[in-house]
Amino acid sequence: MSANSVAYPVEPQGRSPEPVRRKPVVASGVLGMLVFIFTEIMFFAGLISAHTIVRAQNAGGMWPPYGQPRLPVEETAVNTAALLVSGIVLFLSWLAFRREPASARIPLLLSIVLGAFFVYAQGLEWVALLREGLTLQSSNYGGFFYLIVGTHALHAVGAIIALGWAWHRLTQGRLTSSQLATVAAFWYFVVLVWPVLYVQVYL
Amino acid sequence: MSAVRLLAVGLVVAVGVLALPDAAHACAMCFSGPEESRRAFFVTAAFLTLLPLGMVAGATAWLRGKARAAEASQDSEQADSAS
Repeated sequence: MSANSVAYPVEPQGRSPEPVRRKPVVASGVLGMLVFIFTEIMFFAGLISAHTIVRAQNAGGMWPPYGQPRLPVEETAVNTAALLVSGIVLFLSWLAFRREPASARIPLLLSIVLGAFFVYAQGLEWVALLREGLTLQSSNYGGFFYLIVGTHALHAVGAIIALGWAWHRLTQGRLTSSQLATVAAFWYFVVLVWPVLYVQVYL
Repeated sequence: MSAVRLLAVGLVVAVGVLALPDAAHACAMCFSGPEESRRAFFVTAAFLTLLPLGMVAGATAWLRGKARAAEASQDSEQADSAS
């Protein structure tokens, strides 16, 4: 699995054999990112579980609690669509990169723009909700909303910065396929975890 | 401690265990009030237990498949170069 792993073929004549360098099964960056993503999945699973229990224990089964503003389900559905499309475009950019690296520039940039739109629109939503009185301390409802959605937004910003770095290297002709795969794996995580959070928090 | 004394102590412990059973109230999901809350505890406990196991199993299967494919491709390359 490691890039440095070698195999020594047996030579019947007793000569010292030439080591055969094996290709790594998975690039080290991708493997490291997968381990990181596993820990992140468990982190979000913990948040979702805590939210599920608090929601179930809420008095009278009323959620959102009385006096708390409703979350903008429809507007966020549009943001969700933008994020999902961003993931699809990134996949297209990966396919384009395998054919001809320079042809991946535009789809990769489009993916970054769609991701940035998602974060910007979520920011606007936060401002509107804060004005309506939903804060981190107003209730468990507000606390969980800002904690879960805010944590996801932080991940999205980190992934967009990583995608921007990849795009910069691509324009310089220095981006390798394993670097793109590593960054893309993180963005796919950000994209795929969001529908779960949306259903859990907004609906 | 003699064997008879050891047997006597064991008998007393066994009688204590068998004669004084009581429910253990350590299960958070068993005694927490409303049905919906208990169901939430049960579902999240199952979710958090099975999720890491599923991820490890999935990753192992994926890596194994990749390793087998790489091995097969290397074997075919070696066969080509030998011929």
